Amino acid sequence: MAASLTGLLKPWTPRVLLVRWSRYNPYYLEPGPRKEVYHIPETELTPEQKEERELKSVRPIKAATNSVTSSVFNDPVLSKFVNMMMKDGDKIIAKGIITQTLENMKRKQVEKYHKAPEGKKAEIECNPYAIFHQALENCKPVIGLTSIQKGGKFYQVPIPLTDNRRRFLAMKWMITECRDNKHRRTLMYEKLSQELLAAFSKEGNVVKRKHELHKMAESNRAYAHYRWW
Amino acid sequence: MLFNRSLPAPARPSSITTLDGSDSEYVDNYKYLGVWLDCKLSFQTHIKHLQSKIKSRISFLFCNKASFTYAAKHTLVKLTPSITVPSVLSPKPHILPTTACQSEQHLGQYYTVPPSHFHTVFPHGLPPRYQQQVKTFNEGCVMVRQPALELISHLKRADYSKPTLRYLLYGVKGSGKTMSLCHTVHYCSTQGWLVLHIPDAHLWVKNCKELLPSSYHASRFDQPIQASNWLRNFRTTNEHFLSKIKLRQRYVWTKRESTEEGRPLGELVDMGVSRVKSSSDVVGAVLKELRLQAGGTEGGFRLAVAVDGVNGLWGRTTLKKEDKSPVAPEELTLVHNLRKMINNDWCGGAVIATLSQTGSLYAPSSAYLPQELLGEEGFDSMDPFVPVPVSLYSEKEFESCYLYYLDRHWLQHPHSQTEEGKKELIFLSNRNPSVLERLCAFL
Repeated sequence: MAASLTGLLKPWTPRVLLVRWSRYNPYYLEPGPRKEVYHIPETELTPEQKEERELKSVRPIKAATNSVTSSVFNDPVLSKFVNMMMKDGDKIIAKGIITQTLENMKRKQVEKYHKAPEGKKAEIECNPYAIFHQALENCKPVIGLTSIQKGGKFYQVPIPLTDNRRRFLAMKWMITECRDNKHRRTLMYEKLSQELLAAFSKEGNVVKRKHELHKMAESNRAYAHYRWW
Repeated sequence: MLFNRSLPAPARPSSITTLDGSDSEYVDNYKYLGVWLDCKLSFQTHIKHLQSKIKSRISFLFCNKASFTYAAKHTLVKLTPSITVPSVLSPKPHILPTTACQSEQHLGQYYTVPPSHFHTVFPHGLPPRYQQQVKTFNEGCVMVRQPALELISHLKRADYSKPTLRYLLYGVKGSGKTMSLCHTVHYCSTQGWLVLHIPDAHLWVKNCKELLPSSYHASRFDQPIQASNWLRNFRTTNEHFLSKIKLRQRYVWTKRESTEEGRPLGELVDMGVSRVKSSSDVVGAVLKELRLQAGGTEGGFRLAVAVDGVNGLWGRTTLKKEDKSPVAPEELTLVHNLRKMINNDWCGGAVIATLSQTGSLYAPSSAYLPQELLGEEGFDSMDPFVPVPVSLYSEKEFESCYLYYLDRHWLQHPHSQTEEGKKELIFLSNRNPSVLERLCAFL
């Protein structure tokens, strides 16, 4: 009886310990997956890089996430987009949709390229990654609005946005636009490719939404001094 | 020099004296005013001299072949000395020789299928991703590979008075069996054979919405939709044969309809397409007629039976009868007739078949060998056959495919055009053609 009671008083530790999402000691360094950094010979390193290498040989390093690879085709912006599209942690489906989108965009553009006359060929952009990045750039708002309370009322005040916030807003608008405002029967990759190609040429609903935000911010210029940071 | 076009060259005269009394030299070839003349008054000597001059000038380019794009290599290989005389003189740009004259030297290179052939020769039968690629690139190029060349050389040298030979293409998933089959079908088509192309035998043993009991045989089942679709495509492929082949037997369809002896085959096919209910029996009749008439001496044609996914004909189906009991493949009219076609009891043609795990039913995904996929019954029916293994891309073929994608502006990612990216592609795809195609699609 004493043995079973002591068994119940043992502190409970989980069998599997999550490493990445636990709070790492700031002492730990970020992993560097790019191969090129390690191929530079000793002589060609700058003083900062030498210092970094010294540090890496002493300090412990955090575990790398599953989505980060040393592949030359790894794109952090695209990975962020895939994560934002993911539902219920199903990254395979989200990654599949993105690859189908890229393929679809490339097919449309390459078909146009091969059918175009010689003079027009140089103007057609066939690289889906370039189109994706340019489209996202065209959707990023420059200035944002926030709700500030002054004298009992809430005012929409224009504020500057950080880079991360702008990128997040552009991606969020793109995804919600494709999910909500398109025909029910079209597949996601088709909707995304249409919207991205439109945003690349500065047309489409997402770019319109960005312009509307800019107009709202412009119209609320008077409240700009409500911001105190 | 004595010029003479038609008569054979005369014996050399002992001497010809000129007016001055001195002997003149007798020559066979003479260069006069920039052109080499010979006794037969043909341009052969002139062309030989031109060729040797060109070869000496561009020999350095041959040494550095590897650094050029696919298009430049294509043009360079054209200028090898083995190319026959007319192509050097012809002003139009070079296209790879037609399927009839492809040989080992063309291994790894792409040949273009003329656009008109796509609608006639391939209304069905090409893999769907390849069809998308044809639409995107605005042209259809097929790589010349070892299995297809082997098949074509067998077909050229076979004896068509003996019973038919069965050829079986097998290989791992995505190694290019269907494309090799389509290449061979294109060859047969250009040689004027009658091509019976069944795009996928698995389509006849699964997903059938309407299964009618057969009117001809009590225990069999008809598949009207599949049969009429196939007949429509058959009609598109073999338009020119339909009026030439005459039926040797009278076929009775219902109390009021029958097709008389001596009517053209086209009438039978049209009837099958319009009367969907009896289309499966029409397919059986068409196959029987072609089998009887293939090896015939008067107006004889050669018959190529190309079946993709032949392992679907033996095995199990997913179809069920009304009392929920499973349907065996031999109880389907289409499968029954096709099995009779694959038997080697007729002559005057060839049976080219492909194994396929992709659409197969109840077969493990790692199975690719004939024994595993055909099963005992299938192997005994197909035995003896000529096995043709289809392997993954060799290094040369991978290079060729990579350069072709670069040439068609398909590889767009900046890193995919570097050496690092190419090494990564080799690693990720393991030189498997379909995996490479899917990888390059989004890169």
